[in-house]
Amino acid sequence: MMNPFRLSRRACCWLLPIILIASAGLRADLPGLFKERVKSVVAVEFFTESELDRRPTVVFALVADNAGTLVLPPQAINNYTQPSKLKDFRVYLPGRAVSEYSTGEYLGQDPLSNWHFVRVEEKLRASLVPVTAFAAKPASKEPALGEDFWGIGLRGKDEDFAPYLMASRISLVQSLPERTAIALAEVASPGLPVFDNEGAFAGVAVGGFGQTFIQYSRNDRGLPVMLLNMEESSVFQLAADITPWLTRVPANVSGRPISWLGAYGLQPMDPEVASFLKLGDQSGCVVSEVLEGSPAEAAGLKNRDIILALDGRALPRFKPDRVVVAYLDRELALRKPGDVVSLTVLRGTERVEIKATLAEQPRLLREADRTYFEKLGFTAREFVYGDGIVRRVKLAGHKGVVAQFVKNSGPAGTAGLRPDDWILEIDGTEVKTYAKAMQKLAAIEADTTRSEFVLLTSRGGETAVLRVKLK
Amino acid sequence: MKPATVKESPTSSITRKIAALTVVFLISALAVDAAVSRGFNHLLDAVVRIDVREESFETGARRFTAGIGSGVIVSADGLILTNAHVASPRAVELSVTLASLERVNATLVGWDHWTDLALLRIDLAEVKRRGLAFTYAQFADSEDLFPGQTVYAVGTPHGLTRTVTRGIISNNRRYFADNRGVKGYETGLFNTWLQTDAAINPGNSGGPLVNEKGHVVGINSRGYLGADNLAFAIPANIAKRVVAGLSANGSITRSYIGIVPGALLDLEGFYSLKQNTGLLINSVDPGSPAARAGLRGGDIVLSINGTPADGRFPEQLPPILNIIASLPVGSTVKLVVKRGEQTLTPVIVTEKLESRQGEEWAFEKWGLTVRKVSRAYARENQLDDDTGLLVIGVQPGFPAAVAGLGRGDIITKINQERVISLDVAKTQHAAFVAKPAPTLVEAETDRRVSLYILKP
Repeated sequence: MMNPFRLSRRACCWLLPIILIASAGLRADLPGLFKERVKSVVAVEFFTESELDRRPTVVFALVADNAGTLVLPPQAINNYTQPSKLKDFRVYLPGRAVSEYSTGEYLGQDPLSNWHFVRVEEKLRASLVPVTAFAAKPASKEPALGEDFWGIGLRGKDEDFAPYLMASRISLVQSLPERTAIALAEVASPGLPVFDNEGAFAGVAVGGFGQTFIQYSRNDRGLPVMLLNMEESSVFQLAADITPWLTRVPANVSGRPISWLGAYGLQPMDPEVASFLKLGDQSGCVVSEVLEGSPAEAAGLKNRDIILALDGRALPRFKPDRVVVAYLDRELALRKPGDVVSLTVLRGTERVEIKATLAEQPRLLREADRTYFEKLGFTAREFVYGDGIVRRVKLAGHKGVVAQFVKNSGPAGTAGLRPDDWILEIDGTEVKTYAKAMQKLAAIEADTTRSEFVLLTSRGGETAVLRVKLK
Repeated sequence: MKPATVKESPTSSITRKIAALTVVFLISALAVDAAVSRGFNHLLDAVVRIDVREESFETGARRFTAGIGSGVIVSADGLILTNAHVASPRAVELSVTLASLERVNATLVGWDHWTDLALLRIDLAEVKRRGLAFTYAQFADSEDLFPGQTVYAVGTPHGLTRTVTRGIISNNRRYFADNRGVKGYETGLFNTWLQTDAAINPGNSGGPLVNEKGHVVGINSRGYLGADNLAFAIPANIAKRVVAGLSANGSITRSYIGIVPGALLDLEGFYSLKQNTGLLINSVDPGSPAARAGLRGGDIVLSINGTPADGRFPEQLPPILNIIASLPVGSTVKLVVKRGEQTLTPVIVTEKLESRQGEEWAFEKWGLTVRKVSRAYARENQLDDDTGLLVIGVQPGFPAAVAGLGRGDIITKINQERVISLDVAKTQHAAFVAKPAPTLVEAETDRRVSLYILKP
């Protein structure tokens, strides 16, 4: 996945010289268009349950179809949050009293778009209009420089999520890797739609793009800061690229099937490097590591191979370079487990063709089982494939459990256990599996006569014996 | 294993010295209750101020910094004992101010960061030519010290030459180990420290802590920043051994097996140990002799080469580790180890102890400074092996910075050649200097591999 913040630092270079120019030329019947199109947006509130508390989140969502499917932007939910911890979805109509909310159900995350899907209860569906109902006919052309666009913003919960209008014009269109328009000023709240002058659906605003400012204060002289507008965005992905995503409702809450190649740490190839390697203006991705037991390994991909083409098509060149990584990720995500991909890679000075059969992604962090032991003061989580990557542990060494959460000043916390510590042994016995660990920890938790127990943990490759005092 | 509070080595810098000039003058109303002996005066003549100019590689170029410390002359032929964090191999210029206020040059004989000690030799020819004189100090037995005993610290705090402060031994067996305490090098693993409340300030480093007779009981080394008079000195008995080793060989070689101990405390109940002793192994370094012998975290060492190990308290750990460290490299260590109900008797052959801190170097034309990845660094950061150079600085506008290299990157290949040693990079750099041409660099950050081109 591409880090939006890293990307946005580049984006800000474009955005910096922008001056707010009042958009002229909007249609006279805009209020009518606006009123209709507000029906394709809602506010969604939900609660993330943790060991000790319940945190509310409010995001804005797009109506994807007539079946009450709502699309939430990727950053709405943390990657490692278990779907079962997401509770109490509430859907609010813009401008309607917040007491009149409807309930929703979480459907999962799409591995291609990273959008989250929620389905709202039946009774509200009649009040909603899918954004695709406003699709341009025939399909819209790429927006012209300077063309006017407008979009919808929603106020806060205390203002009943009242909808408001934003408008601007296009200053640049880039491939990131989706065709993405950058407007002169904010055009919509992140996750909400943008429309053209005729009212045709033109795209969805994306967050995460910042602008660099220099902050002067009494103490700091010219400290560069990056500001991110969390409520409004001037960047939107064009409808042509993302409309197909609106139909990608996950079949189940896990978001599976999720295809997997197992080429880890893809890094863009610098144009200077390409010319040094006599590749001309060819684009490419360096494979940092080929993961153990992965389709990439089985197909013979090697560490440090440079991927130049996918299924015979050369990887396109993007600006900034790093977008090529997101492009490759997207291309792989479009394919299904079982699909065969052919990769053309540069190995040393030799071109090698590799055919890999994509597999199902190993169990993800958000799918890992976990249990909170209140008396012991920590949550033990199943060790998953990703834990092995982070800790550089070979498959054969995958064992034990991970401390997912440690209660402050609780028994385990006082003994020195920290979140992410890897628990290898409990009371001197190696815990091979999650089930075995659960059995041991549950027995300790249930034993009221117990005064202490001992953990062997590992952090940063160094183990430590921790003595947890229960009394 | 790290102490809870941040400690700073009290080396004085020029800037600190200037700040110290704004000292508030206090008139001391304290009665002098300790008779200042003739021995004490003798000692004062053996204490020197040390001015150091040393290289630093933090900024992408070779730069020089200056510092001030203290030292004590310990032999008739002009050996000066000081701290490793005062005089290290990075020093390019060492000058010593004698009690007569005359300045003479000195050279580094050797250093030992594990005990934070370094040995200099005064330029005797110069001393002779200029007709200068000095005395040398006597050591006392630091084992005889007791908490509450009066001691004096002599040195150059904040550049104030020949400052004597007085205090007591606050604790004679303080334990702390610091993994990067001496210029990024490890210290304190193999010795306990003397703790004193004699005022120790930046610049006191390397000066002696003495008893009322003026005999050296310790070498002042460090203090807690922001605390009131919590200072630490290396005991004289350790210093004597290090002086002998450094003057004979220029370095102290230690043995390594790769165990990280933890205090057993009252865990003996859990481990159902019959006797109340044992050394708990918290961690075993991957790939180390101990790891190859099958030892692992949670094992209890009952004896080392037949000597029972008693490691219930943190203070007891350094002497035990020192038993192993003091063996010649390649020695056989017979351990008796308890694991649950099992008793194991592994035989381990020691290796040479190495620091986590590798050699540093500046590649001027690339605007790049690096530190060799050491075995210990590779282990800590879970790298496959010790291949590579860690970038510690880039100079803006120079090829390395322009290409996008930055601090923390590990350079693994240059022009497709694996960087297994600093020399590989030196050769490549020399070729670049002789005939500037685009150079391909492979570097790794956080397990992500990127390629860079250094352009002339």
